[in-house]
Amino acid sequence: MSGKAFLVDTTKCSGCRACQVSCKQWNNLPAEKTTFFAGPEYTNPAELSAITFNHVKFFPIDRSHPGKPLWTIMHKKCYHCEDANCIKVCPQEAISKVEGWTVIDQSKCIGCGACVNECVYKVPHVLDETMPKYGAEGSIQKDKSYKCHACMQNKRDVPLCAQHCPTGALTYGDRTALVKRARARLKEIAAEYPRASIYGLEQYGGLRVITVLKDSPEKYGLPLNPEPIDMHKAEAIRNTYHLISLFSFGLPSLKRVAYRISRSMVG
Amino acid sequence: MTNHWIDIKNADVIMIIGSNAAENHPASFRWILKAMQERDAKLIVVDPRFTRSASMASLYAPLRPGTDLAFLGGIINYALGKNLIQKDYVTEYTNASYLVNPAFTFNDGLFSGYEPGKRSYGDRKTWTYQMDTKNIPKRDKTLKDPRCVYQLMKKHYSRYTPEMVERVTGCPKETFLKVAETFTSTHKPNRVATIMYAMGITQHTVGTQNVRALAILQLLMGNMGVAGGGINALRGESNVQGSTDHALLFHILPGYLPAPDVKAHPTLEAYNNSAPKTEDPMSINWWSHRSKYTVSLLKAWYGDAATKENNFCYDWLPKKSKGVPFIVLFEDMLKGVMKGAFFMGTNPIVGGPNANRNALAMEKLDWLVAADIWETDSSIFWKRPGANPAAIKTEVFLLPAASSVEKEGSVSNSGRWAQWRYKAVDPPGPEKTRGKSDLDILDLIFRELRELYKKEGGKFPDPILKANWNYIPEGEHEASPHLVAKEVNGYTWPDKKQVKNFVDLKDDGSTACGNWLYSGSYPGKNMMARRGTSDASNKIGMYPEWSWCWPLNRRIIYNRAAVNRKGEPWDSSRWVVKWTGSKWKGDVIDGGPTAGPEAKNPFIMNNEGVGRLFAPGKILTDGPLTEHYEPMESPVANLFNSQKVNPASMIIDEVRGQFGNAGQYPYIATSYRVVEHWQAGAMTRNLPWLNELVPDMFCEISPTLAAAKGIKNGDRVAIYNARGTIKAYALVTERVQPLVVNGRPMEMIGMIWHFGPGCAATGDACNQLTPSIGDANTMIPEFKAFLADIRKEA
Repeated sequence: MSGKAFLVDTTKCSGCRACQVSCKQWNNLPAEKTTFFAGPEYTNPAELSAITFNHVKFFPIDRSHPGKPLWTIMHKKCYHCEDANCIKVCPQEAISKVEGWTVIDQSKCIGCGACVNECVYKVPHVLDETMPKYGAEGSIQKDKSYKCHACMQNKRDVPLCAQHCPTGALTYGDRTALVKRARARLKEIAAEYPRASIYGLEQYGGLRVITVLKDSPEKYGLPLNPEPIDMHKAEAIRNTYHLISLFSFGLPSLKRVAYRISRSMVG
Repeated sequence: MTNHWIDIKNADVIMIIGSNAAENHPASFRWILKAMQERDAKLIVVDPRFTRSASMASLYAPLRPGTDLAFLGGIINYALGKNLIQKDYVTEYTNASYLVNPAFTFNDGLFSGYEPGKRSYGDRKTWTYQMDTKNIPKRDKTLKDPRCVYQLMKKHYSRYTPEMVERVTGCPKETFLKVAETFTSTHKPNRVATIMYAMGITQHTVGTQNVRALAILQLLMGNMGVAGGGINALRGESNVQGSTDHALLFHILPGYLPAPDVKAHPTLEAYNNSAPKTEDPMSINWWSHRSKYTVSLLKAWYGDAATKENNFCYDWLPKKSKGVPFIVLFEDMLKGVMKGAFFMGTNPIVGGPNANRNALAMEKLDWLVAADIWETDSSIFWKRPGANPAAIKTEVFLLPAASSVEKEGSVSNSGRWAQWRYKAVDPPGPEKTRGKSDLDILDLIFRELRELYKKEGGKFPDPILKANWNYIPEGEHEASPHLVAKEVNGYTWPDKKQVKNFVDLKDDGSTACGNWLYSGSYPGKNMMARRGTSDASNKIGMYPEWSWCWPLNRRIIYNRAAVNRKGEPWDSSRWVVKWTGSKWKGDVIDGGPTAGPEAKNPFIMNNEGVGRLFAPGKILTDGPLTEHYEPMESPVANLFNSQKVNPASMIIDEVRGQFGNAGQYPYIATSYRVVEHWQAGAMTRNLPWLNELVPDMFCEISPTLAAAKGIKNGDRVAIYNARGTIKAYALVTERVQPLVVNGRPMEMIGMIWHFGPGCAATGDACNQLTPSIGDANTMIPEFKAFLADIRKEA
């Protein structure tokens, strides 16, 4: 698998969240109106959303870890699966690969939520209008799905999240080289983190976000062998949708209804 | 920093104590991680909480807030007891071998000469060396004389056993021993440790002694002056270094010239005579040049008016009749001593200690000017919760200030690099009303003031009317930072030719210089604007063509200590300087290029020329060696001696009744920052993206304290003591653990101090709870250790 990728090295992440903020800055995304902390420790907001494309999760400290207490802080964004479920299920063919990156074309998106339902990593989101937010008014439209596009829609040489990372925990470069670097890093940290692992080499044909973890992937909610999508079902839904949506007069709201009917018909 | 940010990559051991660098200096971790990855460096983090810095550490050691001296004293004892010191370095380059006055004593926490009624050591006349007939300190290079500093230290620190460290600090003995072993592994010439510290070290009643302990350790290890070593103060703002260099504090003039004192320095002659002296031919004693810097400064300020005949207008210079640090300033304000105040980039009702009292003090002002990029909490103090605006007479003016990208000028980072910045955009809004740079604001005020003096006269108009103040280039209408920078560099008088550096400065009135330390930054070309990326010949990451660094573009200070007496680097794989027999190679050598390593001692700013393990004479107010005292508010007795708090710390009578004890307020409280907000929050609490991350005032407590108080994660709590009550959210976290102190578990309440009543995201200010007491030397407030209680809010 050639092309570009991100390397997330959680052993180098100090949790400054420059990635989370830089992404909002470059993409002009609103802030969520949060209270206290929505997730463990300093995690805020709780998860990725239609207005949060980069997210940093602080896991609770593990004092049982051999040698020293272990506090993992993990950067998360769209993993840009080579074999992406979201692309397969999108009834509008709004999601495609651009230079290897999985990108949603919001002008085609009807906000049906197919990609949202089928992403095992819970990455894409259709804007929840009830979510309190402020700043950057109007930059995100309702009934459209959003997620990280690796700065393909708002192009720059190095995505701002990686460029702003002060510690080198988040880097951007050729995937082959980054995989090599991840493997070398695993050896370097073996003594300190005996259960360390690399995530993203194989899943869904290989991910474009490779993560070096201090412990096993399951510990961080990352499935080692994620279920592949049921292609027969996905095609049946799509075929039904294409038929029904002929009666939608091109209106996104009716198209969404058409998608919902198709989904319930196929079961 | 004696060294600089990039140099951290050269360390074998990095000890972060009293700092949470991952959060407050995130970029430092690029270099820490590089050292860890490429040199297998070990990172030690010593902190009461398991912080984001601790998450990256090879070795984490907890300690109770306010017990750094017990912990560091323990490492000093470990090094001295096991002889893990760099012997040649210590003998040659420190005062370990100097013999101390036989009358000097230390007994039960008190050094000789203490005057209890005054809470002072007075003239400290026994804290001195024994002198020979030439008035040079006597030495015993075998370090065997019982009166030599080394032997006195061995005895003094022998009480700091690992057992005592554990009992006092709460750090388990095994963990402490691992830290001591790892750190002292750098006593070998080919191993180096760096120490990174910040306000967790300084903001204590023993803050200065905390820094001293770090310096003592680094001297014993031979880690000063070398690559990957040094003691590195991480500055809390982008230009704290610059503002200190340029005399932000009450006790100094620009370039660390002491502020003249009414009694001690009535004349220029008396002032000049107070400069450090030496008879030792080995000592460079750089401060012997002080009169040149003082006279050049007076010349820069008073220009043609400053003549030899009138002592260069020394009489015009304000003299201090007492020290006026923050706490005293606000006590004076509360007494109504001052009519008005200017707040530029400061927000005291969030950032100052005992914030409720500061707010009351501000009510006494007739007028207040706040210059900031937004409305600050302090500029709206008159409508803070609980205040009655109708009863407050203070007239408040809010001046719109330009932000950092809307003005040009220099910023000096912690590594002493003065970096020139350009203006990227105009401040928003129409030209007439938009924000102005600080320089422009000050220039407009000064010129207006001068006009008023011209028109109306005044008690003492000359210093204003005759000041050398011309910063507007011809044909322009705004003050230029280049003209200021040129004056700071210095020029000849009266023909105004830029001097090359401070070596050119004279005390006869033929040169003017705004800050001798920065002389060389603008000798013609603006050196601070340089952006060269080639490294120096020693290839240790000094990048001497990038910006400019004081003094004289020297990237590592005290670099004469990087070599032995023959001029050979202690470690040739990361050499800083070396002596070729006739000249120096590498970094700009300290103390002049001609003197060889055998001829002169390396610590050129000390009149002995060597590093001070023992600080003689009047250098410090509270002791020539370090000693543990408890914070002003502490839950336990001092196990090291029968003094409770630092006996030389000034206690202000008016606030005496506000100090609490553990019977009233049982929990240790401490304050800190998070990466998501900036200082008192006036810049960040208006930014949605940052408020999204940390929207509210919160405290951190352990699960055990939470259980004892019926508090759950996310609950609202009240935290209180005699100075105030604040509300916060409780973050219940395993990262905070009770520490066993003298056999008893002690709980802690950690609080961020970014919040206040103003801005978009509001919250109570932690500093409503912090005490009005400070360090015995500097009066920096004791923000880091005090007492409070906590309860769940309904």
